[in-house]
Amino acid sequence: MNADIRWIDNPEIFRVNQIAAHSDHDYFTNYEALNSNSHNLIQSLNGQWKFCFSRNAMSRPADFYKEDYDTSYFDKIMVPGHIELAGYDQIRYINTLYPWEGKTYRRGAYSIESAGDGTGMFSEAEYNPVGSYIKKFDLDKELCGKRVRLFFEGVEQAMYVWLNGEFIGYAEDSFTPSEFDLTPYIREKDNVLAVEIHKMCSAAFLEDQDFFRFFGIFRNVSLRALPEAHVEDMWLNPVLNEDNVSGTLNTNIRVSATENQDMCARIILKNVDDQVILERNIELEDKDGDFVGSISDDIKDIKKWDNHTPYLYKAYIELLKADGEIIEVVPYRIGFRKIEIKNKVMLLNGERLIINGVNRHEWNPKTGRCIGLEDMVSDINCMTRNNINAVRTCHYPDQIPWYYMCDDAGIYVMAETNLESHGSWQKLGAVEPSVNIPGSISQWREVVVDRARTNYETFKNHTSILFWSLGNESYAGDDIKAMNTYFKERQDGRLVHYEGSFYTRQYEDTISDVESRMYAKPYEIREYLSNHPKKPYLLCEYMHDMGNSLGGFDSYIKLIDEFEMYQGGFIWDFIDQAILVKDHVTGKEVLRYGGDFDDRPSDYEFSGNGIVFADRKEKPAMQEVRYYYGLYR
Amino acid sequence: MAYTDKSKLRVVYGDYTLGVHGKEFNYIFSYAQGGLESIVKNGYEWLYRCPKPTFWRALTDNDRGSKFHIKSGSWLSADMFIDCKDVQVFMDGEVQKIYAPDNNSYEGDVSADEIRVQYTYETINTPSTTVVVTYTVDITGKIQVNVHYNGVKGLPEFPVFGMRFVMPTLADKYLYKGLSGETYPDRKAGAIEGVYEVSDLSLTPYLVPQECGMRMDTEWVDIVRHTSLDNSRTDYSSQTLRIEKKDEPFAFSCLPYTASEIENALHHEELPPARRTILCIYGAVRGVGGIDSWGSNVEDEYCISAEEDIDYSFTIC
Repeated sequence: MNADIRWIDNPEIFRVNQIAAHSDHDYFTNYEALNSNSHNLIQSLNGQWKFCFSRNAMSRPADFYKEDYDTSYFDKIMVPGHIELAGYDQIRYINTLYPWEGKTYRRGAYSIESAGDGTGMFSEAEYNPVGSYIKKFDLDKELCGKRVRLFFEGVEQAMYVWLNGEFIGYAEDSFTPSEFDLTPYIREKDNVLAVEIHKMCSAAFLEDQDFFRFFGIFRNVSLRALPEAHVEDMWLNPVLNEDNVSGTLNTNIRVSATENQDMCARIILKNVDDQVILERNIELEDKDGDFVGSISDDIKDIKKWDNHTPYLYKAYIELLKADGEIIEVVPYRIGFRKIEIKNKVMLLNGERLIINGVNRHEWNPKTGRCIGLEDMVSDINCMTRNNINAVRTCHYPDQIPWYYMCDDAGIYVMAETNLESHGSWQKLGAVEPSVNIPGSISQWREVVVDRARTNYETFKNHTSILFWSLGNESYAGDDIKAMNTYFKERQDGRLVHYEGSFYTRQYEDTISDVESRMYAKPYEIREYLSNHPKKPYLLCEYMHDMGNSLGGFDSYIKLIDEFEMYQGGFIWDFIDQAILVKDHVTGKEVLRYGGDFDDRPSDYEFSGNGIVFADRKEKPAMQEVRYYYGLYR
Repeated sequence: MAYTDKSKLRVVYGDYTLGVHGKEFNYIFSYAQGGLESIVKNGYEWLYRCPKPTFWRALTDNDRGSKFHIKSGSWLSADMFIDCKDVQVFMDGEVQKIYAPDNNSYEGDVSADEIRVQYTYETINTPSTTVVVTYTVDITGKIQVNVHYNGVKGLPEFPVFGMRFVMPTLADKYLYKGLSGETYPDRKAGAIEGVYEVSDLSLTPYLVPQECGMRMDTEWVDIVRHTSLDNSRTDYSSQTLRIEKKDEPFAFSCLPYTASEIENALHHEELPPARRTILCIYGAVRGVGGIDSWGSNVEDEYCISAEEDIDYSFTIC
């Protein structure tokens, strides 16, 4: 197959040759490697890459992926990182407007007759920068001779990949992993990996989040070799019974193997004291070239998981040869908890759930959305310290470690799908959905359902996730309804959240389990809850903490006592999005926001709404958060 | 009446000013400058310009979003420019004739148990209103400050109402008994009562410089400085000025900038070097709000009507 530049225009093409989305589990070749946390099958490709910036696709070095291409004129760039922060393209912040506002007239493909099928909209745009990346590498010894995957954790916004001159695949969906099989083309030495990244593609209509508009490889990249047999996907679904002490562990695995593997699989469940709770073989059967197995086991004397005691059991999936030698072991920590709606009230483990939440963008003032583990640890600690018990991953899936940290810390997660099309339906504050994307446009349905699927498949094993969120501020239509249907069909017991039913009551029953609002005034909430409310109520965004704010918290907290069905909300938001730069006048490091990079139009300081400043220091209002959230913890 | 009893106040009826002196305190009330011009304690000056009524705190992002400035912006000009219309001096309860040549009749320094100086200020906004500030000095040197604002129908809501003291140099620190952290009427439930020391007077680093540093429900505040503009001063010891509540606790902020200076900066680095101490003692403070930043006003109970009178008082010790 050859790459086609027109894919970036076409909303119906969003993944080519990608490995299907799967559970985010770690894997080891034996317990020794597991215990020493040694990932010798993973080879990081982070670091310096060769790089060429082009203003648009027409002027890009289209043949750069060919092995004999002369890249001597290429620059160097650090991966991961944003291309803008490396100085190649203008840094730009804008909230709801599309980034081409006032510069290029665009309507999403198929949204209106004049837009047609979108051909040329991005591939022939005068301004749509391209980053052409080259990485040369030798394969680490441990990876040689094995099946090898290329694993991108986050690339914004559209990406073509070649290895050694051969086309490998294409990906969109900036905030979820994109994975490709390199096995047919990889060599032990002198591999040439070529990645071509387009700043905007048709998905630009779906990624209109309120943030700095960046592109590039901004999360880790690695090669991942697979043992002869490998758990491709697994779903450990712990079910807690009404009594909160008994339950069932449903185990589903899908295994791939190189030829002629005679193997068996086993699950072991241990408690925190390493006592074995469950040990069982899983029968595998052939299915579409892989092996699948499912078992269910009753578990007794369960310690349940919640914010106060985030009790996690240690599960191990083992793949073994016939002689009992371990081929692969997959560790995962799982908790038993039950989220449900009873009598229109959300219950966690049978008790009314109160969400003392916050929305969180991934942010670091030096590196943008390319954040490190230390940033995540700092954020988790800050939340725990301040009685915050829930986080909404606004408005895209976060880096994988974040979900593990939330499992550990007992932070309830609203796992949001990477979707926001705000600029397509809200104009100067008014609801005007005439060209809404995705709406009910059939050509946009698969791409948004795929985003839901990737979100689900990647993170489904995380105990902390209580809600799937269909996305943010994308209005409503049949396509969003299809996302809801997707989640509902998984039957994982979690609730589905979407705020857009407020605008489009005809979808009220088909896109959200909860009545979700943002920035509703206390009296509006009272009004809804006093007039035969249909659903439990939560605020997916409230207490807009822009600058010196967070006054009047009391008026929301009171509602918790007043209405059983009012179940709290997520403060907007966790961290100020501002960029640390050197002031050209004083030479000192200062924080800059929208409009400070000659970027126009802009929404200026509107990116600074955190309960912590951009440098993660707590704002003075935090004592108020800690107090009120402490009342209902 | 002549100054003979050293335990009493020594009063100097000058041509431009009224001097009120006692053991280790010297106060100058100016007719020309329209206010209390000098507070000297232990030979150390605490004022740079006369304290004046203040009607403005810098806008918050929420204020901008709710167009509070469009509704109430006239208070900014009222804050910057104000006219002193009248000064009256009462000595031991009796009104005095203070201007020349009437002051020739004092024939020298005068002693008194109590001096009361009353300034009447008229605002430049429309409709105009008045503020009466009364300073009462007793023989211990304590200055009781009573502030009366005349509410007038048709005036827009206040961001704050209070008195602004500008000190010659930047304070080293301040201590206060009150609430922890930065508090506002609608954001103080989480604060803890105690005695706190603040040695970093810099603005809270909100992305855009804005109102910050408010401390509600304060019993007293001690401003500590050691620097001086007095070229002859060689004493670099720490000096402290205390403001304490009279009847009700007060709100204050102590920052290196005036509200209008803060208002002019889009980034912190645009603010001038910190060189003064701006101490505002407030009788009324608007909340900061939090519902959203694009239209919702601060909740009603945390808004301040300028149509009603405001009275408050405090003591400079």
